[in-house]
Amino acid sequence: MIAPLLLLASCVAPDRTYEPYEADAVATAEDAASAAQTALLAVDASTRSNVTQNYLSIVLEEAEADASGVQGTFDSIQPPNSEADRLKNELDKLLDDAASVLEDLRIAIRRGELEKLPDIAHPLDDTAKKLDDFATAHER
Amino acid sequence: MKKLIEITLGILTAIGGFVDIGDLVANAESGARFKMALAWVVVVGVIGICLFAEMAGRVAAVSQRPVFSLVRERLGAKVALANLGASFFINFLTLAAEIAGVALALELASSVNYLLWIPLVAFAVWLVIWRVRFSTMEKVFGLLGLCLLVFAVALWRFGPDWGALLSNAAHPTVPSGEGHPTYFYFAIALFGAAMTPYEVFFFSSGAIEEKWTKKDLVVERMNVYIGFPLGGLLSLALMALCSVILAPRGITVSTLSQATLPTVVVMGKLGLAVLLVGIFAATFGAALETGFSAGYTVAQYLGWQWGKFVRPKEAPRFHLVVLVSIIMGAFLVLTTIDPIKVTEYSIVLAAAALPLTYFPILVVANDPSYMGEHVNGRVTNALASIYLGILLIVSVATIPLMILTKAGS
Repeated sequence: MIAPLLLLASCVAPDRTYEPYEADAVATAEDAASAAQTALLAVDASTRSNVTQNYLSIVLEEAEADASGVQGTFDSIQPPNSEADRLKNELDKLLDDAASVLEDLRIAIRRGELEKLPDIAHPLDDTAKKLDDFATAHER
Repeated sequence: MKKLIEITLGILTAIGGFVDIGDLVANAESGARFKMALAWVVVVGVIGICLFAEMAGRVAAVSQRPVFSLVRERLGAKVALANLGASFFINFLTLAAEIAGVALALELASSVNYLLWIPLVAFAVWLVIWRVRFSTMEKVFGLLGLCLLVFAVALWRFGPDWGALLSNAAHPTVPSGEGHPTYFYFAIALFGAAMTPYEVFFFSSGAIEEKWTKKDLVVERMNVYIGFPLGGLLSLALMALCSVILAPRGITVSTLSQATLPTVVVMGKLGLAVLLVGIFAATFGAALETGFSAGYTVAQYLGWQWGKFVRPKEAPRFHLVVLVSIIMGAFLVLTTIDPIKVTEYSIVLAAAALPLTYFPILVVANDPSYMGEHVNGRVTNALASIYLGILLIVSVATIPLMILTKAGS
């Protein structure tokens, strides 16, 4: 009895109209912004307080996994109409930007290039703000 | 003097042993999403666990019999079986979550994937249960768990606006962008984390393992009434840290690393080291407790010999249940299921099953044939009745809220 309930609670239902699709887009943008902000906070901590490379590596890896996870879930939802297509394209651009920087951060930390992290992370600040703006603009 | 040391040690152990992976996840998530608007739930949960843990410990110390055995005798096999089924399932999920929690702490320290740590952690949990003396393991992991005081130190060093934090806690409002159903879903998760049933099974069975009698009721009450609330303060410190550092940045907690980030931001490398020791000790200690509780519940229901106070060969079926539970718990998290989700579901489902655990304890604690003059007083019964009402409401609301909010997402 418990397993079906858990499945029901965690499943992704198809969106038949624009409104629920937009709500999913907002949730996706918020989650991606959260992952981006996590990475920014971790990089900031590494420049100020000498965080261990092992720890930073896991934080950045998980931030990247979170961002790509929410993008994958969102992309698996069928856009119901052309308006939703436009919304998807707008959000996908931001998600791709975030994923790209998070990937670069992960590669840099794995190579032990801690000093490069602030520069690599720099564009993420702008992307996180745009994701926030996107979520605010489409929140009902 | 010896008694004072014993009481102090017991209190310190209770503080360090109070927080587990469920508390870490639930308090960090709540603080990041709702700031201090759910702090009241921690207070309600801590009062509840104090109330029923004291009752269960008193029942064990006075009757010299474990709670599950008395529940079966007093309420019959069918009611006790429902209690056992719900408790064992929730305890199993919690055990899996705690094993994953230890592995996640090791992952943060080593950057070796947590899945590779799971078999080693499971083996270590079993080995400690098999080889180490009960009182030793309880004190070592409880005292090491005090490293989680780093949450409070980090909060103090961060220097938040204390007035704003208190005001937010005293006048809870649902933040914009969050709905009331999600707010109450997280309230249930926090409540379930604070009142996790295994804490009561372990506490009452531990009373017998440590050969507590009526003379030890003072120690028992000090542990519960001082140790647990101070442990609850650690939960609130984590919630406050996440509310002042993660919430303003819109960071929601979906991993253990995010829950640790505020402390690391404030305290740096040393803070990280202390924090990871604390998380390791808290989750490892809780894995031991849930491992034991799996054996306690089944063995006490079926009337088997149980416990560490006898040699393993004298309680083979008890140790077999413990071993199988640990192996199955490890297998569950090895399926690559998200360990944080396992934790979330374990605490929320625990909340749904709470009346099945706590109602029988209340019945037994009021039975003079077991308790003699140590039956519940009027105040205890009045409070317990209020809590049973809360538990019933929580139990009924949990599953609909879980579906409605897509498990709080």
